Amino acid sequence: MGLGRDYSDPEFERIYGECLSEYCKNAFYKGVYRESSLSFGEGDELFFDFCSFSSKALKKNLEGCKGVIVFAATAGINIDRLLLKYKALSELKLMTADCIASSGIECFCDKLDSVISEGRETKPRFSLGYGDTELKYQRELLSYLDAERSLGITLNGSMMMTPKKSVTAFIGVK
Amino acid sequence: MNIRDYLNKERLYSDGGFGTLLQARGLRAGEKPEMWNLTRPEDITAIHLEYLNAGSDIISTNTFGANSLKFDCLEEIIAAAFTNAKKAVELCGKEKAFIAFDMGPTGKLLEPLGDLPFEKAVEIFAETVKTAEKYAPDLYIVETMNDSYETKAAVLAVKENSDKPVFVSNVYDESRKLMTGASPKAMIALLEGLGADAIGINCSLGPRQMVDIVREYVKYSSLPVMVCPNAGLPRSVDGKTVFDVDSEEFSDCMAEIAEIGAVILGGCCGTTPEYIRKTVEKTAAMPFTPVKEKNYTFVSSYTHAVEIGSSPVLIGERINPTGKPKFKQALRDGNISYIINEGVMQEEKGVHILDVNVGLPEIDEDMMLVRCVRELQTVSSLPLQIDTVKASAMEKAMRIYNGKPLINSVNGKQESMDAVLPLVKKYGGTLIALTIDEDGIPDTAEGRTAIAEKIINECAGYGIDKKDIIVDPLAMTVSSDNRSGRITLDSVKMIKESLGVKTSLGVSNISFGLPSRETVNSHFLTMAFTAGLDCAIMNPYSAAMMESYYSYRALSGLDENCAAYIDFASTLKKETVTVSPSAENTEREDMPPLVRAIVKGMKDETLKSAKELLSKEEPLTVINNFIVPALDRVGKRFEEKTMYLPQLLMSAEAASRAFDAVKELVSASDESKGKIIVATVKGDIHDIGKNIVKVLLENYGYDVIDLGKDVAPEVIVEKTKAEKVSLVGLSALMTTTTDAMRDTVELLKRECPDTSTVVGGAVLTKEYAEMIGADYYAKDAMETVRFAERFFCGEG
Repeated sequence: MGLGRDYSDPEFERIYGECLSEYCKNAFYKGVYRESSLSFGEGDELFFDFCSFSSKALKKNLEGCKGVIVFAATAGINIDRLLLKYKALSELKLMTADCIASSGIECFCDKLDSVISEGRETKPRFSLGYGDTELKYQRELLSYLDAERSLGITLNGSMMMTPKKSVTAFIGVK
Repeated sequence: MNIRDYLNKERLYSDGGFGTLLQARGLRAGEKPEMWNLTRPEDITAIHLEYLNAGSDIISTNTFGANSLKFDCLEEIIAAAFTNAKKAVELCGKEKAFIAFDMGPTGKLLEPLGDLPFEKAVEIFAETVKTAEKYAPDLYIVETMNDSYETKAAVLAVKENSDKPVFVSNVYDESRKLMTGASPKAMIALLEGLGADAIGINCSLGPRQMVDIVREYVKYSSLPVMVCPNAGLPRSVDGKTVFDVDSEEFSDCMAEIAEIGAVILGGCCGTTPEYIRKTVEKTAAMPFTPVKEKNYTFVSSYTHAVEIGSSPVLIGERINPTGKPKFKQALRDGNISYIINEGVMQEEKGVHILDVNVGLPEIDEDMMLVRCVRELQTVSSLPLQIDTVKASAMEKAMRIYNGKPLINSVNGKQESMDAVLPLVKKYGGTLIALTIDEDGIPDTAEGRTAIAEKIINECAGYGIDKKDIIVDPLAMTVSSDNRSGRITLDSVKMIKESLGVKTSLGVSNISFGLPSRETVNSHFLTMAFTAGLDCAIMNPYSAAMMESYYSYRALSGLDENCAAYIDFASTLKKETVTVSPSAENTEREDMPPLVRAIVKGMKDETLKSAKELLSKEEPLTVINNFIVPALDRVGKRFEEKTMYLPQLLMSAEAASRAFDAVKELVSASDESKGKIIVATVKGDIHDIGKNIVKVLLENYGYDVIDLGKDVAPEVIVEKTKAEKVSLVGLSALMTTTTDAMRDTVELLKRECPDTSTVVGGAVLTKEYAEMIGADYYAKDAMETVRFAERFFCGEG
């Protein structure tokens, strides 16, 4: 949150505690993953079971990999409602809860990542939208995982996921 | 042959999984199953036939995802789906074989969580239903719905475009909630109200995991219950999805589900004709018990149902302009956050339902009521009481309400009943019935009971059950007639006992014209509860009223171990605000109290200091000499990195309290220093930075129009033109959305050449801002404020 190392403010700590407690009451983590084949085409082209596209950054990430695991994870729709509520009530609480939620889903992804990666050599996870990858492949990725049915993740017209605190990613497997 | 002739008279069997069988016949991952109606019609007919031969009475067309969002060739798909299903029925030769038109979710989440407007969802479903109607389905099945709001949109679309029966089936997860939060009771209340013909559960869970949900459905639903589980839980084996319950175990469990009382049985993902065949074999000979009418009175929100009758229910009365000048002003200003705050505060005080009344002669009540209901149901999980005398506003609010609302109110006048009862019949709702008619309010309990009876009878003519009527025998002030209290209490008792309906009262009317009204109100509340009152419309901020409520529950055996009372009592002692001594000492003592309170971010202290100061100083002096310098001090320290974002926001929120105090004294209109649009650009939902900018700009006296996140360039331009805005602030966080930032700036330059732009966000740089032609780059919120200050002084 951009706080200094020595930052201490009892009032903010109280608000932080309240937001954290509300977050914990509302977060409901779920994840799903599936293995896909991976092959490299000409230039930066990458082929998966569910789509193919070109990306220099992802190609570099997947260098030396034989396959890929795609996953989706979410903290659930209640968090969206909690953030909407805070938006109406307090920007401070909104910002605080948003930061908590972002950390929360990242922690969950780390855990999921460690479960998936156990016993095999894997690359750091890579999400669409990062570097030169386009968000438009979210639709194919989510459909491959049946994530609407299993996790309730839907896409809006701009390829943004709902629930808001959701993550999709590729994990290269060597 | 009509399925209504069989419904609830004998057990019916629907079909099982479709996707599983299509995959076995070669459907590839990502391929749309509905297209097989056209490309592989023989396969579709064969699957239908397999189910009919296995014992299914109802087969569902292969149209789960058939809607205009997903298909351009909707009509062809639907026509072919019916052809394939009808052919199977012909080939089978069974007499009892019904074709259900199958409807699944749109694949988009509805607003406010997603981006599909409610009416657009109704429109999409309606288009599908109108097409399906041409091919005469026997019924509609709306299934695999994981959102209550989308379920409502689909059912409304069917009811408005067809007179065929509609079965509605929802998906629950392991927490026994829909994905968007609704409990089984909430869905039962909603769907009974909307006039579904059968309701139930499918997908996601296996039969064993569904048992408890089925029990709840059977206990509370007056409608036949339909259950179509998966073949257990899915798991991946060698890249293929397999299910862990075989047909033997599945059908054993379905027999148990039939025993509990479900009357329509089928399967979902992973089940095959074999699962249905065995289910039929094991249940066909079991005795059949039709569903009985239940007598539970529910209202519901998107999460839960509130039962009226088992324990007194509190309805918060504060969202109502009567006698509240600040509330009236908020309505005139369209200040929705004031109203939402009232809702959230009352929820925190412990009410069960929120009354929503926004009637004011000078505002567009239809629009405002819809807006308030929409906003409140976004932030509060409480059911709402839609309170209006205007039928058009009532209908609009009922239509977009995500649940079964409480409707306030109908009365014994024919005109009122003619206007309100058709709405309740169509949209569902629990109705408050006032005992007043063309001759006024009777001054006897017998007279009021007679009006209540008249309303109940009229409701029966519309098919509105007594359980959905709550009679309000009206509390009239004892200050003008000392018999008023007695008559009202006698009426509560008589109406409950002789008519068997629930009761409600607007409690505080009883003390109108008296001093210390809270004393009279709280005692009257206890007396009314003792007389059998079920709902009290009351002020939850009144400690005396809440004391009455919690004491009554504890004293009448409704509060186990007095736990709720003890919790409540503990809150009574927490009224004083403590300030940490260490925080006190770190601040210099030379600041005036108001400045110090804002700098420290102490909201209550700020309001108190501002009020004190305003009693001695001119409002403008308070703004210019205290509030703005305090904000400047905070801003400077933020820029120097001796204060951090949370403190900046805490101060901003405290300062807004001071502005509230100022606004009470001066009209808000002459305060704006300029109008600014802020938006997070198309494709980006990371709006924290933009929100902080908004708060600070408002604090500095600017009129900020916040267009939100993921905003298309055209929307920004349109609003800029309409509002004649000279400065637009744009934010973006993701690298992928900087292009959208460029497009927006370009369009603004072209369409609104006199408007300037200020851009910011984590990925932006001064160089990039210059490259895309933005007028100014601000590295953080304070810098945006500084720029706005210069811009509106003509220095920008």
